[in-house]
Amino acid sequence: MGALWVIGEPNADGSLARISAEVATLARSVAAASGLSAAGIVVAADPAGPAGELAAYLPRVLAVTDPDAAGNAWAVVAAERAAAIIGEDPHALVILGAGQDGRDVAGSLSALTSLGILVNATAVDWLDGRPTVEMSAFGGKFVTTSTFTGGGGIVTVQPNTVVAEAATKPGSVETAAPGAEPTLPHVAVLDNVVEAGAAAPIEEARIIVSGGRGVGGPAGFAMVQELATELGGAVGASRAAVDSGWIPYAQQIGQTGKIVKPELYVALGISGAIQHKVGMQTARTIVAVNRDPDAPIAEFADLVVVGDLFEVVPALLLALRARAG
Amino acid sequence: MSPVSTSNAADRLTVEQVLLRDTVRDLADARIAPRAAEIDRTGEFPEDIRQLLAAHDVLALPFPVEHGGVGGDLLTVCLAIEQIARACATSSLILIVQELGALPLLIAGSPEQHARWFPDLAAGRTLAAFGLTEPEAGSDAASIRTRAVADGDAYVITGTKRFITNGSVAGLITVFAVTDPDAPRHGRLSCFAVEVPAAGFRVERLEHKLGIRGSPTAELTFDGVRVPAANRIGAEGDGFAIAMATLDRSRPGIAAQAVGIAQGALDVAVAYARERKQFGQRIGDFQMIAAMLADMDTQTEAARQLLYTACGVIEAGDADAARWSAMCKLIAGDTAMRVTTDAVQVLGGYGYIDEFPVERMMRDAKITQIYEGTQQVQRLVIARALLGQPDA
Amino acid sequence: MHIVVLTKPVPDPAAAAERMGPDHRLDRAASPAVINGNDEYALEAALKLMESMGGEVTLLTMAPAGATDVMRKALAMGATRGVLVSDPVLAGSCARSTMQVIAAALRDLTFDLVFAGADTSDGRGGVVPAGIAALLRLPYLSNAAKIEPDAATGRVRVRRITPTGYDVLEAPMPALVCCTQVLGEPRYPSLRGIMGARSKEIATRSLADLGLDATSVGGSVASTVVLETRRAPARGATRMVRGSADEGAREIVDLLESRRLI
Repeated sequence: MGALWVIGEPNADGSLARISAEVATLARSVAAASGLSAAGIVVAADPAGPAGELAAYLPRVLAVTDPDAAGNAWAVVAAERAAAIIGEDPHALVILGAGQDGRDVAGSLSALTSLGILVNATAVDWLDGRPTVEMSAFGGKFVTTSTFTGGGGIVTVQPNTVVAEAATKPGSVETAAPGAEPTLPHVAVLDNVVEAGAAAPIEEARIIVSGGRGVGGPAGFAMVQELATELGGAVGASRAAVDSGWIPYAQQIGQTGKIVKPELYVALGISGAIQHKVGMQTARTIVAVNRDPDAPIAEFADLVVVGDLFEVVPALLLALRARAG
Repeated sequence: MSPVSTSNAADRLTVEQVLLRDTVRDLADARIAPRAAEIDRTGEFPEDIRQLLAAHDVLALPFPVEHGGVGGDLLTVCLAIEQIARACATSSLILIVQELGALPLLIAGSPEQHARWFPDLAAGRTLAAFGLTEPEAGSDAASIRTRAVADGDAYVITGTKRFITNGSVAGLITVFAVTDPDAPRHGRLSCFAVEVPAAGFRVERLEHKLGIRGSPTAELTFDGVRVPAANRIGAEGDGFAIAMATLDRSRPGIAAQAVGIAQGALDVAVAYARERKQFGQRIGDFQMIAAMLADMDTQTEAARQLLYTACGVIEAGDADAARWSAMCKLIAGDTAMRVTTDAVQVLGGYGYIDEFPVERMMRDAKITQIYEGTQQVQRLVIARALLGQPDA
Repeated sequence: MHIVVLTKPVPDPAAAAERMGPDHRLDRAASPAVINGNDEYALEAALKLMESMGGEVTLLTMAPAGATDVMRKALAMGATRGVLVSDPVLAGSCARSTMQVIAAALRDLTFDLVFAGADTSDGRGGVVPAGIAALLRLPYLSNAAKIEPDAATGRVRVRRITPTGYDVLEAPMPALVCCTQVLGEPRYPSLRGIMGARSKEIATRSLADLGLDATSVGGSVASTVVLETRRAPARGATRMVRGSADEGAREIVDLLESRRLI
């Protein structure tokens, strides 16, 4: 039998990334089904904070203090420390987030440990002594169930696959030995630049209100933001809006942007052509506002309001506020 | 969206040709189509389109790589013409005539002549024109009267040319003139590369036409225009043969233009038939309309396939090239006329007004049955291939 | 400046014609292939650097033999040459095999930089570039919004997109950079480029050329296996609402309430 590991991702401010809490919750259910015991690994210059947070979700967390994690690109540093802990175990099951840092760790870890990788999991179960990983392919057209031929492997998990839920009692945090000298080259971080208007990672949002070409400009996006705020969600965008410079690329949803699976996706002035569709079509509820009843989005949305979004959205804001008030 | 012939298996195109066709199509859709109606309305030569085509190496297609061209074969050039003509027949003429005007040089020019003129033609800095037709010599090309008299190391050209596309914007005109009035009929002519403007050269008038209105069709006067002997293309007396060889090779370009016009009209008609509702259903679901569209599509595809095959035959220098060249132009021109007329019919009242492009496409289509050899001349060429020369 | 750009032919997303074969793997023959969209941004960045700094751009692809056609467009855009690693053994390769094969091919090339696309439209994993870098012990810089190599110092500076803005990374070359769309729109191939591409070289490498064989890489030693494929469940019917803005707003509120989203 192997071991079940969760690699926790620290945020820049020292808190634990939300995806890691979700992944840890998922790992607990896999542990229960498999009889394996789950443990977390947190690598940071000062891991105490995020390790302590991760311990709310897992029975055991290994905190690795590595000064190199500050001032260098984190993923490669963390992957090497994690590889030392996981060792040469072909049955190890490693679960982590599918965001940019998670992908970087997963790829590096695979090269260091010989474990295979299954990506963007929407479910992880245990069957006949091995993990089964559900993934969505080709923009949601197919759903596949896969496993590892060697018994163990690395799984990256989509945000919003699981709701983070703390364990009934918190686990323990242990200090892990630093391990051998790193062999992978470290990349220096010269500067962290904060840009105004940068938003939380859109993949994590449970509600997304997105604007497309129909929104017309930055002023229109202010209205999109208003609706997002009223619904407690994040703002997304189609490629057209990003290319026009109305909103940063980090919020772009679609083929060359992010894939999201929120509870609610509101598409304002978005045609729903394939490039955008593959980014959001697995959202649980899709509402569209569009002037064109023949727009492609009408083929897969749950509700399409045909009309001018500059009239419908203000009316919607009024109705929502009247409800709340 | 509207159907476009993209079946690579049927068209037997190489990977490069497919890429090139798609690149030109995207360019035409994005930059040329939006200008087409205005070009027709104002009747002004679209200098911006000429520069666009030059900047994207489209005008370089017919010319050899060593002189700054892209070295496209006949089919490749026709693919580009077809895609541009879908959007705007006038714009496609810029490429067609750049090739037509330069063909005498491509066929019979010397290496020095190539080196001298091809770089500017390929870059689109200089436009070419083909100076054969005269007021009294249209179909009967052999009977042109413009004279070129030898004078020392030059020739002096005197005469009038009519219906010369690009005559007012070209910088290089390949002019056909009589050098030996006493020679047998097909040995009287020679061909000259005339750089204009030049002393004695005048653009007398531009025609107001039914279609291709943005293309300047000029009457040109040559009043004692001197050209160096080095500008003569081929030997004295080669002119008629050069002209016929030129037309054999340039006719597919007209066929390509016609196929493009037909496809453009078909696309508009299909889109309309899908959207327009009468009597509670979309008109495309009425059998009479559906049958018309089916016939339009079939005829356009047939013309296209014959064109693509003809290009291969002509490029290979087959002995039957003239017959293939005439056939593809014959079918394509008649198809363009029929398809555009039917497209207007499908759109009904809307087809007759300039809010939709099909009335312009119908007016543009007509010329493909006339220039570079009328449909009647094409039939003579084909019949001659079947029957041989008439008994003396 | 010699840049290798990793490119992968994928089913054309616009055609939406992807099909699974009987072995639950993508049937690559069933759908027309194009260069992965994200790789074009990496290629464009490489071409711009080649134009401003001089040098060459080499495409590196692991794919079935017919991929030379797909690589032509990238050559038409301006890449100098291509290298195609192709071997029937590689069909059905997992991410690990892919990393190992591409790393082995890179060992035979000299370069200052390797560029990779963010992820592929068919796999969406985004994990292979990091693995390749680790196997080759190359500095790895990801999520790049801007790439600035300095030939004089031999170092490269990269802006890495973060949730709050960007980090400025720096490393000595040779290095591997994973690119994003923010680097800039890929150019359309020029006609000259299209016609010229046919004279550009695409060298092919088999596994034997790389010193690998079916015992170490390829479909038969894949680390993952697909057990089952099914079509995603269809969504419910679409409700269309035409009417006043207030009616539309009312319908939206009703739906959100019924699904307990507000």
